[in-house]
Amino acid sequence: MRKPEFWIAYVLLLIAQLLISNYLNITPYVMLTILPVMVLCISIRVGTSGAMVIAFATGCVVDLLSEGVLGLNALSLVPVAFLRNPIIRLIFGNEVFARREDFSVQRSGFGKVSLAMLLAQAVFLLVYIWADGAGTRPLWFNAARFGASLAAGFAVSLCTLQVLAPDPRR
Amino acid sequence: MHPRNWLPQLANVVVFILLEIAAFHLVTQNSALQRVWVAKGAHVFMGGVWGSTQAIRSYFSLSSANKELARENHRLLEELDAAREKLRAARLDSLETPFLPGFTHIPAEVVKVSHNKQHNYLILNRGYEDGIQEKSGIITRNGVVGIVDAVSAHHAFAFSFQNHDISISARLGEEGGSGLLVWDGLSSRGAILKEIPLQYKYQKGDTVYTSGHSLLFPPDIPLGVAGDSKVVNGATNEISVSLFQDFSAIRYVTVVHNNSFDEIEEFAQ
Repeated sequence: MRKPEFWIAYVLLLIAQLLISNYLNITPYVMLTILPVMVLCISIRVGTSGAMVIAFATGCVVDLLSEGVLGLNALSLVPVAFLRNPIIRLIFGNEVFARREDFSVQRSGFGKVSLAMLLAQAVFLLVYIWADGAGTRPLWFNAARFGASLAAGFAVSLCTLQVLAPDPRR
Repeated sequence: MHPRNWLPQLANVVVFILLEIAAFHLVTQNSALQRVWVAKGAHVFMGGVWGSTQAIRSYFSLSSANKELARENHRLLEELDAAREKLRAARLDSLETPFLPGFTHIPAEVVKVSHNKQHNYLILNRGYEDGIQEKSGIITRNGVVGIVDAVSAHHAFAFSFQNHDISISARLGEEGGSGLLVWDGLSSRGAILKEIPLQYKYQKGDTVYTSGHSLLFPPDIPLGVAGDSKVVNGATNEISVSLFQDFSAIRYVTVVHNNSFDEIEEFAQ
């Protein structure tokens, strides 16, 4: 388990997500979220099942305390936790698991971390937009929403990353 | 793979499914739109599943369906055989030539026939138990077919008219001269009418009949039409004849036997 600071930061970021969800509804095309990167940054020493439970709980908290359909964030966040280890293994290799080290921009490089964040964000958005639309929205709308949300979410997630996965050399 | 390796992954999958089901449950319980959407998807899924199971059930019931079809097929074949037998009997009756006084008529079916030899033959499905005798003629509505040569209990062997050793007495036209009709040895409908005296005039297209001078065949059976002719030895005409009978399509025939054959033969000797 990482330092207790991680979990404090995690809770603070969760509160930040609640504020975003409740007060920062810019346009229906953008669904601003930092939840995927939060789940991605959970230590790999927490197993997949544990990460999924944390993701489910995180999603439920956001759903309960913000506007929207109850269960939607949980539904979308659990797949991110389920695919977290495969994504990390794909991008950072098995060394991360062998050394039981968590990734960071300084250690793994900006490109790899960005790619991992994009993949996690994409998984989340695909499920979220698919379930939120419930087959009532046209494909072009969903595609536009996916693209805009991915871009906006990536920018916000970069800031989140600095909080949850800071440079270990500092 | 060792169980230690895949058990945690299996556990992860199980946890994932359980959490997703829980999330889906939350979504559907709190949103009418999502509830309808999920219900619709569930209906599509169940429809597919039930359709597949029905298809599988139908596949495995093919065996009994095949047996039922085989029974049905057998029954239909039996009905078909019975109908064919009735039809065959009816056709044999209809193929009988008009009753000719002094001749016995017995319908028969050709069971074997040769076409491509110089000495062709026929085998009929009637024998002496059916009343067939040697030295009987075989005719159809289209002409003369052959002569019975040997008889067993249920079959008769006959020389076909398409045989160089066979000649029958034939007459040219209603009242023309008589001669011997023989196979030309070239085609299934070709024949030659020989020994027609020169004084008998005829035209192409005149019909050739059995003369009735033979003990084997009744008179006035139409055999074919006259064609070209040539004078032989300056004394007789030799006329080509196109037969009515197509020997490649013989199936039902009538065996005719002169009731006075033995008496006349005895008298002739």
